[in-house]
Amino acid sequence: MRPGDFPAVVMATRNLRRNKLRSVLAALGIVIGVLAIATLGIFGNVLQLAALESLGGLGDQVIVSPNQDAGGESLTARDITEIQRVSEGRGTVVPLRSDGAVVSGTGGSSSFATIYGTDRPAALFNAEAGTVPERHRQGALVGSSLAEELGVQVGSLVEIAGNDYRVIAVLAPGEDISPIQPDSAVVLPESAFVPGDYDQVVVQANSGEDARAIAEGVRDRLNAREQRVSVFELSSILDQIEEFFDLLNQFLIGLGAVSLVVAGVAIFNVMLMSTTERKGEIGLLRAVGVQKRDILRTLVVEATLLGILGGFVGVLLSIGAALLLWYVSPIALDIILDPSNGVYLLVAFVFGVAVSLASGLYPAWKAANLEPVEALRD
Amino acid sequence: MSGDVSPPTAERTAVEERANHDGEAPPLQLIGVTREYDGGGETVRALIDVDLTVEAGEFVAVMGPSGSGKSTMLNTLGLLDTPTSGEVLLDGRDVTTLDDEARTDLRKEYIGFVFQDFFLIPTLTATENVALPTVYDRDRDATARAEDLLDRVGLGDRLDHRPPELSGGQKQRVAIARALINRPEVLLADEPTGNLDTDTGRQVLGEFERICEQGVAVVAVTHDELVTEYADRTVELVDGRLEEQ
Repeated sequence: MRPGDFPAVVMATRNLRRNKLRSVLAALGIVIGVLAIATLGIFGNVLQLAALESLGGLGDQVIVSPNQDAGGESLTARDITEIQRVSEGRGTVVPLRSDGAVVSGTGGSSSFATIYGTDRPAALFNAEAGTVPERHRQGALVGSSLAEELGVQVGSLVEIAGNDYRVIAVLAPGEDISPIQPDSAVVLPESAFVPGDYDQVVVQANSGEDARAIAEGVRDRLNAREQRVSVFELSSILDQIEEFFDLLNQFLIGLGAVSLVVAGVAIFNVMLMSTTERKGEIGLLRAVGVQKRDILRTLVVEATLLGILGGFVGVLLSIGAALLLWYVSPIALDIILDPSNGVYLLVAFVFGVAVSLASGLYPAWKAANLEPVEALRD
Repeated sequence: MSGDVSPPTAERTAVEERANHDGEAPPLQLIGVTREYDGGGETVRALIDVDLTVEAGEFVAVMGPSGSGKSTMLNTLGLLDTPTSGEVLLDGRDVTTLDDEARTDLRKEYIGFVFQDFFLIPTLTATENVALPTVYDRDRDATARAEDLLDRVGLGDRLDHRPPELSGGQKQRVAIARALINRPEVLLADEPTGNLDTDTGRQVLGEFERICEQGVAVVAVTHDELVTEYADRTVELVDGRLEEQ
């Protein structure tokens, strides 16, 4: 690059190269500051993403059960219709019957398990092996732990209360926190149960917001006069959890910001030192016809370059730290690579450069406004 | 060369002075310059009613003991300091009251400086040091000019040397080349031989002579009697007053 193109940048680079160790040390402050902000931000964000991923299903489900305190034992077909009306367009309503029974496998082993009865299991359960039918008419869906315990797989027979059912699917282990735990349960068609009322209704809502609206609607309609049903809906708790994580993140970033402030002071100090050292030289430049603003610009560019250098290295190290987190923890790569983490890298970088620039302003201003006569007087 | 300029008298006004030189004004002129400082409660008068006319191609030596106001005079001539009263004329133009930006531009265009301590940047090559005053300009041929100037002061084989690899005399010659990079009309030197031995001092002064031959005026403030040997004219500052010798 010729001086004629970007003189301030060329001069600033020259000046920074003159005392490499000092420049590197000044930039190191910014490296640490940016690293602190970016990694604390990303770690907090990863924590939030990971937590919300496992709590995610919780926020989208509304579980309506009879209010046992008021003597309710089941939900009637009319209740179901009401719930369906409220949930129209917002989610899928799955009425469930539940019971407990001994389940025996072919090998003779048996275990006590929760038995769910529903015709529409696909909205709630996922298969690990086999398929979960949209309309459930025959056969059994067996939870993964139970299947292992009984030694059954897709195609095996299980015996429940004297009836044989063919296993059509083994359910995937439930990762979500939810009152419906399929791991050690068997899902049968509704017809396997004695016809009658339902024990609970699960509404799989399309979103957390829909879940809140459904819960609100069900309370309005079914509990208008008396508390007939209890409505279990966690999306508002989820909101609070999210708020907590936001707070935690701000706190972590605040901690990181402290180190960036320290870095700013270091840059301030280094700039002040190096301009004092170069006083004579700055006086000379002013004497030979270099304008104040050119001196000012050069010194501000010097500080900014330190920030860019430090910020860049800081960002690289932060990426390294995030990958290390993925390597040593069970957190999934897609959470580490979530675009929202990039925001923290960007924010940390921008702050690093801004802090450097701000720290360089006063020393630069002071140097540019030196009287050349004073500056040249040793 | 014009070493025969008579001292300015009270009757000769600046306008007449300018008219006297075939319509060309002298490059640098002080008229009745007084400079006062506030030195710890009392007023220090560093220059008292100083008149000085520097003609093109003239080598003027300014002698005087420490504290006689030599540096203040050089700074005033170099537009680094402004007089409390009096006028500074550059090519006949009154520049006394110009602001910092305008004076900075004029310094670049008209004036070159040479200092006792050279003020070379140790990490830059000789060529880069010489081209330093042009570094903020879009001056594409500055490097070529710098090399040419170094060649003229006898450092054609030291272009890429850095100051620590150069002797005192060589450093001062680099500084002289730097002072000439913007083709000034006046070169101001503050104790140019102060850090040099006699032989090296002579080489540097010889350099000043050659510069004068090309029409550039040189004003050197100094303690060094050697300088007067080479100067066309020597003036002496005593307690802020100028006396022609």
